[in-house]
Amino acid sequence: MADEPLRQHHDAAPQPDQDTVLSYDGAGSSKDGGSRHAGNAHAPGSLPLRQAMQQPRSEPKVYDVTEKFTRACKALEVGQLVKDEYFTLFESIGAIEVMDPKMDSGFLQPGETLEDEYDTLAPLLPEEVIGIMDQLLSHEMAWHTGYPLSQTLFTSVYIDKLLWPEPKTLEQAQFYRGELPGKSRPAPLLEVLRAYCIALVKCCDFVIAKVTGRDYYEEEDFCTHTYNRVLFFQTPMDVFLRELDAAVELMEEEGEIDDSFRKAIITRLGFRKDFLTALDLDCSLEHLDRYWSPILSSLPSINVTQQLGKGVPGSFSTKIQRRLASTVPPRPIVELEFKDAFAKLQQLCHDCEEATRFTSLPPDPLEYESFLWAFASRSPTPLAYSRSYLSTILFHPDTLNTTTSLPLLDLKTVLLPCSPILDPTNWTLSPPLNPSLPKPPRLQIAYVIDEFIERVGQSYLDYWTALGQNRCRLRRMLTHVIIGWSQLQADARLLDSDLEDITRDMGIQDQVIGSPLGTWVYQKKLFMAEKIVLLGFEQDIYLPDELASMYALLSELATRRRDVLADISAHFASRIALHEAAGETAVVEEIRQDAMYIASQLHEVEGIAALAHALSRFYIVLLYLNLLPHPNRPYGSEQLRFELRMKPFQPAISELFKRYRDENDMQPYGAYTAPSPAFVEDVRNGTSALWRDIERSVARAKDAFAKFKKRGAGSARAGGVEKNWGKAVQGALASCVALGVAVVGLKAGVGGVRVDGEGRVKDVGVKVEIPVAETGRRYKEEWVVGKVVKR
Amino acid sequence: MDNEQANFYLSQFIGKNLRIHTSDDRVFGGQMKCTDKDRNIILALTYEYRAPPAQVIRKAVEASGNPAAQVPWNSRYVGLVVVPGAHVKKIEFEESALGRSRVVV
Repeated sequence: MADEPLRQHHDAAPQPDQDTVLSYDGAGSSKDGGSRHAGNAHAPGSLPLRQAMQQPRSEPKVYDVTEKFTRACKALEVGQLVKDEYFTLFESIGAIEVMDPKMDSGFLQPGETLEDEYDTLAPLLPEEVIGIMDQLLSHEMAWHTGYPLSQTLFTSVYIDKLLWPEPKTLEQAQFYRGELPGKSRPAPLLEVLRAYCIALVKCCDFVIAKVTGRDYYEEEDFCTHTYNRVLFFQTPMDVFLRELDAAVELMEEEGEIDDSFRKAIITRLGFRKDFLTALDLDCSLEHLDRYWSPILSSLPSINVTQQLGKGVPGSFSTKIQRRLASTVPPRPIVELEFKDAFAKLQQLCHDCEEATRFTSLPPDPLEYESFLWAFASRSPTPLAYSRSYLSTILFHPDTLNTTTSLPLLDLKTVLLPCSPILDPTNWTLSPPLNPSLPKPPRLQIAYVIDEFIERVGQSYLDYWTALGQNRCRLRRMLTHVIIGWSQLQADARLLDSDLEDITRDMGIQDQVIGSPLGTWVYQKKLFMAEKIVLLGFEQDIYLPDELASMYALLSELATRRRDVLADISAHFASRIALHEAAGETAVVEEIRQDAMYIASQLHEVEGIAALAHALSRFYIVLLYLNLLPHPNRPYGSEQLRFELRMKPFQPAISELFKRYRDENDMQPYGAYTAPSPAFVEDVRNGTSALWRDIERSVARAKDAFAKFKKRGAGSARAGGVEKNWGKAVQGALASCVALGVAVVGLKAGVGGVRVDGEGRVKDVGVKVEIPVAETGRRYKEEWVVGKVVKR
Repeated sequence: MDNEQANFYLSQFIGKNLRIHTSDDRVFGGQMKCTDKDRNIILALTYEYRAPPAQVIRKAVEASGNPAAQVPWNSRYVGLVVVPGAHVKKIEFEESALGRSRVVV
């Protein structure tokens, strides 16, 4: 380098008093930047910026390099970059451009000020207090539905004043800092508002802690960012309750307020108190159920008195975003109407109240599973908080630490009630003292089962974790979970062969179903695969022209599971006979109990298989009749679509889907666009095999669902969610009826069908409407039954 | 300064802390990642510092009666930013206090 190094040395040593105010550099915990300035005498050159935690503390030296840096830059070529070799263009896209008003949240328009003019100590009218409280509630619910705090609660000037500069004690969290002139206190109504606000902030703290406390959550549903604001996480809850109590007293003593305002404000304080209590993280499981009903009872009166309030728009401002630690561009305030916010709040309380019912379930993994499915099916879908709330209960040590592990209980119920394989005494045997001697066979069985249960644990929890997600993610996660279960099935096969050897040596094969562990895994896996497809229908993943093939796939899956369950059922029957002959009534009774569950499942899966088959055939007819919208897919092919749809099941069970791929089965009359003459003949003949197949399947499905219903929620191990269960079965039955009606309508409309010269179907007297998801036009979201209407 | 020298000089600052003063009197302190002919500078792990408004300072002075009253600067974390060359008023290099960095300023 030719140039003399510019040793322009700014002595950055601070004035002595500055040292005392320097803060260490925690991730963004820059208290005032650690920099203080004397009056308006700026000396930016000596700014001590972020300081690393270090001993002994020494100041960084700062050099002004503006001039030389600029010269060096000028010497660069156009397009030449001097950059960190690990820094990529991709990363640079995420950079925020300073001074660009759309990106830089710190940019000030000419004449604009950083701070707001709003005076948080100006006295408020009671109606304004109500208005602010309700607006805050709306923002709180907007946050619950997924918006960040920076666009919702943190736009409140009052909340900002409470939280920044960061108060060291709760006492310091006021709408002012320092002391008011003459040591006076703010107006009583402001004190009341403050109590409400700090309790609200604590609520947010609890909510974030609960949501992030779960093993699995995603930012797509909920935003936990607090922008470096501390939400009183160290202050215990009772302090806030006391503040709220004091505020209620203040309101009661306050003389010059209209009674209706007084009541409205007190109701809001009471609500906040109940809500905070219910959100508390340390609630014990036994008492959970008592927290939500008081909140629900105070909600109507908040709703009624909402109109008393008068909004104070000035007390909310986007300007606060300029001071929040934020790596994203500025965004507008989210406006959620009170009506909608209130509905969300009600939903949150109802969902949480429902979740508390989990604690009253019998300790049975199948009951738990039914409950989880029912909760996940709630409509509208529960908010992130409610779902975290339920999974906190589910994964609570009190729930999981049962005497028998939950997967083992599941295995026992489904396959091995009173089986010698799961005989508790197996675990009481000791290995022989001489290690070269063989272990007793029953002990060997215990070891095999232990190994299996240990192996199952994670997959089982993964499945339950998936059930705690929102509906869309549930479907996606199941496709991952199922892969884990496929591997599990392979492992189970090995253990099964060990078991088989041992039971053969013991001479008890007839008491044990063939490969019990693998069978158990397999039927669970098939169940999940069915659910993935059903959730796909529910979420309108498949286009109308795909319905035929997807229902065929579903029918195939359900038929497989039916076969497995039928084997189990037959095995149970033979065991009952065996034990009856031996006069073991207690054993017989226990096996009967579990056989009832299998029988109930068998009816359900039979119904699913039959209805899916009927729908598949129904849609094939519609495809031939050219009644379904057929999008133009210039780059698509059946093969590619097949691969796409099967992707979730690869490598899990793809070998099963021969039939789905089988063109003869899916296209019995040749290509959909040019059916063979036999089609016209069959479709016009109301008693042809084509129609008979559909009608018989519908009848079979109806019969199976009716039997399933008759056996009741208890047999299906859904006793804890009997209502939801009943509604679901009713929906399936109604779908059967709807399909029956549609078939009749279709048959009536195709009497005059003919094929024109080019092989296209003509003169269909009806058209078909496919009901869209979540519009209430399906009897059950997962059964898409097209509605046939006259043209 | 020829191109090679310029490249050498600027490369020294990569990964080092710079403080960039912008035309609206803010200061951005962060690690330099990239620069170019137009003096656009990309900083990572950046903090934004802003002087308190004049009226706040006036108030503080009035309240304390001390013309040298201390008023805090506002700072916040902003992460990865690009400062357009046109808005760069002053560039400062902050030498690590942990040890001598061999940067020729």
